[in-house]
Amino acid sequence: MSEHQGDGGEGGAYTPVGTRRTFFGWVTTVAAGLIGFGLAVPLVGYVISPALKRKEQPWVDVASPDELPVGDPKQLDHVTTIQDGYLKAQSQNAVWAVKQPDGQVQVFSPRCTHLGCGYRWDGEVKQFKCPCHGSVFNIEGNVVAGPAPRPLDRLPSKVENGRLLVVFKEFKPGTKDPVEL
Amino acid sequence: MRIYQWLDSRLNLKSVERTLLDEPIPGGTSWIYVFGSATLFLFLMQAITGMFLALYYAPTPDHAYDSIQFIEEQVTFGAFVRGLHHWGASGMVVAIGLHMLQTFLYGAYKPPREVMWMVGVVLFLIVMAFAFTGYLLPWDQTAYWATQVGLNMVGTVPVVGEFLMKVMRGGEVLGALTLSRFFAIHVLFLPALLVSLIAAHLFILRRVGPAGPWTDARASLSSETFYPRQVYMDAVAMLVVFTVIASLALLVPFPLTDKANPADTSFVPVPEWYFLFYYELLKYVHGPLEPLATWILPMVVILVMLFWPFIDRNPARNPIRRPVALGAGAVFLLVVFSLLGLSLKNLYAVPRVDPAVARGQALFAQFGCAGCHRIHGVGGAVAPDLSFVGDKRPDREWHLKHFKDPQSVSPGSFMPKFPLTDPQLNDLTSYVLSLKKTP
Ligand code: FES
Repeated sequence: MSEHQGDGGEGGAYTPVGTRRTFFGWVTTVAAGLIGFGLAVPLVGYVISPALKRKEQPWVDVASPDELPVGDPKQLDHVTTIQDGYLKAQSQNAVWAVKQPDGQVQVFSPRCTHLGCGYRWDGEVKQFKCPCHGSVFNIEGNVVAGPAPRPLDRLPSKVENGRLLVVFKEFKPGTKDPVEL
Repeated sequence: MRIYQWLDSRLNLKSVERTLLDEPIPGGTSWIYVFGSATLFLFLMQAITGMFLALYYAPTPDHAYDSIQFIEEQVTFGAFVRGLHHWGASGMVVAIGLHMLQTFLYGAYKPPREVMWMVGVVLFLIVMAFAFTGYLLPWDQTAYWATQVGLNMVGTVPVVGEFLMKVMRGGEVLGALTLSRFFAIHVLFLPALLVSLIAAHLFILRRVGPAGPWTDARASLSSETFYPRQVYMDAVAMLVVFTVIASLALLVPFPLTDKANPADTSFVPVPEWYFLFYYELLKYVHGPLEPLATWILPMVVILVMLFWPFIDRNPARNPIRRPVALGAGAVFLLVVFSLLGLSLKNLYAVPRVDPAVARGQALFAQFGCAGCHRIHGVGGAVAPDLSFVGDKRPDREWHLKHFKDPQSVSPGSFMPKFPLTDPQLNDLTSYVLSLKKTP
């Protein structure tokens, strides 16, 4: 077979054929592949970057434990500055603090373990009640009634220099065991 | 392959493929024809990286700088993507320049390709507009002051200049409205315009065909299809361009200067290198002649470029038979490159404020160092004058030791030890070392 292939219809333009043609096609594909790869890897990393960042979880001062009455849960403000992309933003959350008879403070996440509604404290019957689907928890956070699959989620807390410090975390609702988000 | 056959049997792709790839190139393929595709490739890369940059960028004065800093420092591959876009812009100017040069040398603008040349010149101007509008977006000192200069140049156009400048600026000050309109023009208006004109440029190319070699005899001797050899050459050229731009993006960091500060007039703005020759030109033309440099000359150059196919009526395409045209082109390039060279000489002399220096200066004030040391006439005269200490003691290690324990390096000194953390030590040293006669 000859190197060049005539094509009478188009003014005698020839087209390389055979191994030459294969070579040109191969180099073209490799070049395109390298460029594509060189762009795709960084760009994918660039896009998913924020999803890979672990949220910082600082200890936040919420109250003095002395102000908390034993056996009467209090809802406390948990305010942190979070990094929202390039912005510093205030993040407001509320946590439930329960002082035990021995003076220890137990802190609960404010979300119901069923599907994440906010529950409240019913002082009359001394129970936490969720308005959404009727889950009921006792003062220890254990499930008394309703669809909630697990006790209320506990947040890490400690007392330092007479102040109660809490780390806010979120948990996946609806699972048997707490799964941190 | 099976999918392709399936689609082909329905959409009749084979004929499209033939139209796209079997285009005959008079005189055969050539490495000299790759500049157009390199430019097109760079445009596509700019479009892609630009879209991705927009994921994190916020075009407002209070967030633009922070959002770019976020891209640079926090986002995975952020500095690389921004680097690609930054160096890609330069690459595009180079590629378009070489493409135009090649077209000019080959006389490829001559009939019947005048319209293609004119569309090309407009494309070039659009690329320059991209560069100008994009330069402001990081909202750092360089961006702010260079744009200030650019806008003021528009203001020197007689009669309409003032008005035109205000329209471009979006009002009385260079601020929020300027940033959002530059952003909108950069990412919406110009791309739309550019894409349609590229389409027109390529459409005309397919209508009139590539020009080929300058002697018709050689052009008609042979002709070769676009695929596979020209495609292969274009692909190799694109890979080379990509490798160069990616290496620059990886190896040469392009840091932000300080955040735009309208109050800090000490900042010397430097435009991008492709505007430098023009910037340099303005240094030589003052007073009543200024409009000559700011708009009459550019206007004339643009018009001459645009209508060049009609000005150059010499039918020959062979460069040897076109001494006037080539001479004019050479003189033009010579002027531009001499001005560029002159400008580049001054470019690296521009002082950039190192943030460590500013922090060190703050520490100097905080610890009351001025109680004993004098700097440029301010402060006590008990201890050595530090105005030019950077010249006298350029050794960083010495200062680091000195601040920790002054007696260890200059015995008998009554300077107290200062309780500094390592970063503080470093900042203070940077400040002290910045105190030089020759900045
Ligand atoms: S969310 Fe609380 S019971 Fe369903």
